Amino acid sequence: MLVVQGPPRVQRSRFPVQADEIKLDSPPLPHARHLEQRNGASRDGQGGFRTGVGRTYDAIVIGAGHNGLVCAAYLGRAGWKVLVVERRHVVGGAAVTEEVYPGFRFTVASYVCSLLRPEIIRDLDLPAHGFQVIPQESTFTPLPDGRYLLRTGDEQQTYREIGKFSREDAEAYPRYGRLMAKVAKLVKPILTMTPPDVGSMSLSELRKLLTLNRQIRDVTDEELHTFLKLMTMSSADYLDGWFETDALKGTICTSGIIGTFLGPRSPGTAYVLMHHYMGEIDGAYRSWGYVRGGMGAVSNAIASAARQTGVEIRTSAPVRRILVEDGKALGVELEDGERIRAIVVVSNADPKRTFLKLLEPENLPRDFVRAIQNYNIEGSSGKVNLALSGLPEFTALPGDGPHLRGAVSISPSVEYVERAYDDAKYGRFSRRPFIDICVPSTLDPTLAPPGKHVLSMFVQYAPYTLRNGTWDDQREAFGDAVIDTLAEYAPNLRGLIEHEQVLSPLDLERVFGLTGGNIFHGELTQDQLFFLRPVAGWSQYRTPIKNLFLCGSGAHPGGGVMGASGYNAAREIVGNGRRRRA
Amino acid sequence: MSGPWDVVIVGGGHNGLVCAAYLARAGQRVLVIEQRPVAGGPLLTQEIAPGFLSSTGADVIGPLRPEVVRDLELTRHGLELLPIDPTVVAIGDDSTTLRLWRTVEQTQEELRRHSARDAAAYPTFHEFLMGLAEALDPILLRAPPDVQSPTWADQIALLRRALRLRRRGMDAFRSALRLPVQSLHRLLDEWFETDLLKATLAFDALIGTCRGPWSPGTAFGLLRHYAGVANGQGWAFVKGGMGSFARAVMAAAGGAGATIRTGTRVRRIMTEDGRATGVELTDGERIHSKVVVSNADPKRTFLDLVDPAELDADFLSQVRAYNTNGCVAKVNIALEELPRFPWREDGRPPPSHVRIAPSMEFIERAYDDAKYGGFSQAPVLDVFLPSVVDPSVAPRGKHVMSVLAQYAPYHLREGTWNARREDLAGRVMDRLEERLPGIRARIRTTEVLTPLDIERTFGMTGGHIYHGEMTLDQLFVMRPVPGWARYRTPIDALYLCGSGAHPGGGITGAPGYNAARAIMSDLKRIPRGAVAAHAMGL
Repeated sequence: MLVVQGPPRVQRSRFPVQADEIKLDSPPLPHARHLEQRNGASRDGQGGFRTGVGRTYDAIVIGAGHNGLVCAAYLGRAGWKVLVVERRHVVGGAAVTEEVYPGFRFTVASYVCSLLRPEIIRDLDLPAHGFQVIPQESTFTPLPDGRYLLRTGDEQQTYREIGKFSREDAEAYPRYGRLMAKVAKLVKPILTMTPPDVGSMSLSELRKLLTLNRQIRDVTDEELHTFLKLMTMSSADYLDGWFETDALKGTICTSGIIGTFLGPRSPGTAYVLMHHYMGEIDGAYRSWGYVRGGMGAVSNAIASAARQTGVEIRTSAPVRRILVEDGKALGVELEDGERIRAIVVVSNADPKRTFLKLLEPENLPRDFVRAIQNYNIEGSSGKVNLALSGLPEFTALPGDGPHLRGAVSISPSVEYVERAYDDAKYGRFSRRPFIDICVPSTLDPTLAPPGKHVLSMFVQYAPYTLRNGTWDDQREAFGDAVIDTLAEYAPNLRGLIEHEQVLSPLDLERVFGLTGGNIFHGELTQDQLFFLRPVAGWSQYRTPIKNLFLCGSGAHPGGGVMGASGYNAAREIVGNGRRRRA
Repeated sequence: MSGPWDVVIVGGGHNGLVCAAYLARAGQRVLVIEQRPVAGGPLLTQEIAPGFLSSTGADVIGPLRPEVVRDLELTRHGLELLPIDPTVVAIGDDSTTLRLWRTVEQTQEELRRHSARDAAAYPTFHEFLMGLAEALDPILLRAPPDVQSPTWADQIALLRRALRLRRRGMDAFRSALRLPVQSLHRLLDEWFETDLLKATLAFDALIGTCRGPWSPGTAFGLLRHYAGVANGQGWAFVKGGMGSFARAVMAAAGGAGATIRTGTRVRRIMTEDGRATGVELTDGERIHSKVVVSNADPKRTFLDLVDPAELDADFLSQVRAYNTNGCVAKVNIALEELPRFPWREDGRPPPSHVRIAPSMEFIERAYDDAKYGGFSQAPVLDVFLPSVVDPSVAPRGKHVMSVLAQYAPYHLREGTWNARREDLAGRVMDRLEERLPGIRARIRTTEVLTPLDIERTFGMTGGHIYHGEMTLDQLFVMRPVPGWARYRTPIDALYLCGSGAHPGGGITGAPGYNAARAIMSDLKRIPRGAVAAHAMGL
């Protein structure tokens, strides 16, 4: 027989799980076994497992990205026996720290942290596992004319700095921040809810929509109207209603386009603007910050919390395919042929990879396959990481200072960013890209040898599909365009570079398995959000394959190091077990 | 009929006239005040050269509400529609052409010349959009719900629409849910491979909108276009030019008892204690009424005609943010003879609608120029030749042609439209000559309307042909601004009935129809005495 016997083998987390404390209530043990009983017929003894039967788990999570780890940790807490299999030699997916060059530890892909759900930090007690955020001190926008815009945590100082450009904008800025924070708060409950299934049109699903409606009734007209506008407007149009300073609008609007294949004038980007504000709701100003030890430390902390609940994590264990029989997932087959079975399979891979690569299309309904094929997952961003022998010196603001201990943004105006997008629309990387720069070693010296620094540049736009040539030919030219752009503002940059790592969208796909190099596992446009993510009718972490679930950023609420997809998926998986048992 | 008036309508555009006709039919004493010498707004026929009757503003009619045609007996009042078929002849690069027809079968036949795959997909695409347009149709003739506290009736009405869509199957339902927020580029790439076909379909959705096919939300414009096809008559010219349509609606309104004063300009809408009491004309005359209805666009209404002190700051800032920046220019042309079409016509009659937009990227690049405040280097041209199907609008053997050119942003970064009008005309003519060689030599007269001219001639703020951008942030519960999408305004007894209200622009008559309903339902609630006192200016 399979899992059924044996004493609980799960080491419980330090605090007993309280249903109302975490919403994710632990099921009555024996947890997932009723699923097992339902599947038993096809699996007891013969089934599809005559060859190479490995160990058996309650759940296998494919991919140790942060969402996969969060999901595994919650399943572990619920008493499930969980295995996480990861293709790479490290856990964390795109949230990793790697010593790419001796002494220099790059936070290779994802680079700042803010959106990680506080519930998760609390439930998994991540600080006890080494998770610590160091707040960024400022946002600094150097301008081509030698001026600069600086915003810091000090409201008075920010007022003065914006006031150098416009008194009205300085006045409006705190009001803008407060309104965005209020509206983001409106959306907050939606992040950790399972979207209604609009396809079913059943009463219980419709009730969920009405509940949302009731939540909306409690807000003021201004908040509701702002929300409606944010859902439909472009970030540029929205900001035009608030500010007149180009540098301010240019820099704020980039929050609306990060990770998307859209320009600031594209409708829908105002939503992404707000998406990035969700992290700012608990702190006063910009709770964006570095994680001590780089983003890999987030993943390591979650992994450590997961292990504590008994979760096993296997790295360098790439999955070849998900095993399916009679429309049910039975386990996974690794690249080396090993088969591992489980009652539930959870994929942290993006939807295209999950359904089009890890499964055989004939196991899926045709209309579903078509919908997944149409899922928009074209990446638009690249990353350039530099190992520097010293600090860059900005012409606009020479010397060290808070501006180097925060975000440096090359976004002098909305038009600058929009023109960068125009390049990408027609299939080439931006000649003058938008760059979001940070030098985390200014606040976390553990990342670089003494006196030296690591500098991370998130770059847009770099379209995954180039019209001419391939990324393998153009990687270098892309890196040069990025470095040249920054060097216009910090001329000493070139002389400081000891090592350079350029990641095109193709590299992001190859290294991290992100289809299309899309950092959010799929565009965050309204046609792929909430009950439409990844496709309408399958937004509840379930899939057309029984016992196969999604837990990555390709599921609601989407990308960013938030953990909400993993958290919600775990709740659905556990709840699914309970419902079927009943 | 003379005063005292129950209702004064500011502006005799087609929606103002439709609203007037319905209110008069309901027994109200209605006065329509129009600044131009004829009513009809941009539905106007003018003689640009002796015997050449050109439709100055709008060229064709599509999504006109059949209810309005029927209720107001427009046919009896002289409206005659002349269908356009093929609906469009698109000219691609290398002068390849593509004809789209009113019937799916003919279009499919034509598409086979271009792509077997597209020919196979077209019927499904057509059915999908027709189904969607039909399912959503009832929404157009209903005031949008109050988002803050929607009534049960409103919720049930929307739910019924959703169920109707769902019943078409999960595949279609999924597409329907995504369509409103998708870009044309994404949507059409999913369906078709022929560039010319995609561009032709895309431009149907983009006319009048300052967006390119890459912008999310643009796919929604297709619904607007298909609404014209779905409810019966399809896209058509009006016999005698668009002015004939205006005359038919005027006759209907007049027949129902409404009075129309042309050549009269309203200076302001009078208010008292937050309530509209009538209008003051530019000559100082004051006309009192129970209700004032504005067919002017929202910016003109609230920023020019109403005393700003009557409106709160938040509302005013929302109205100011309402986007009315037009991006369409028009060139009306009298032709000595038909252009020579560079393709073989095989004995077919000449086309009456030609589109010059070879690919979606071409359209997007034309839009890129406008994003930065420039008129498109290579504009998209939509060319109408009404005289091909309606010989009454030009002398025998001669023709009138009108060209809609996009994108021509109202706000130019360099220069003014007054200084650059010829520049625009030149660029349009160059492009026409390139695709229809020899046309320049056949031209007798041209009339150029920049967005600035459209604003000046018809009083449309920003020269926007829809009284404001038809993007999702300005539609349905957000048209013109959130909280005021139900034809009522923050000023009691002042209503909107123009294209700046739901369901927006285009010649539908729907805003006028819906506004009349809202007004009648309110009038029934107002105690007679109070109204009479106001109406007499007491």
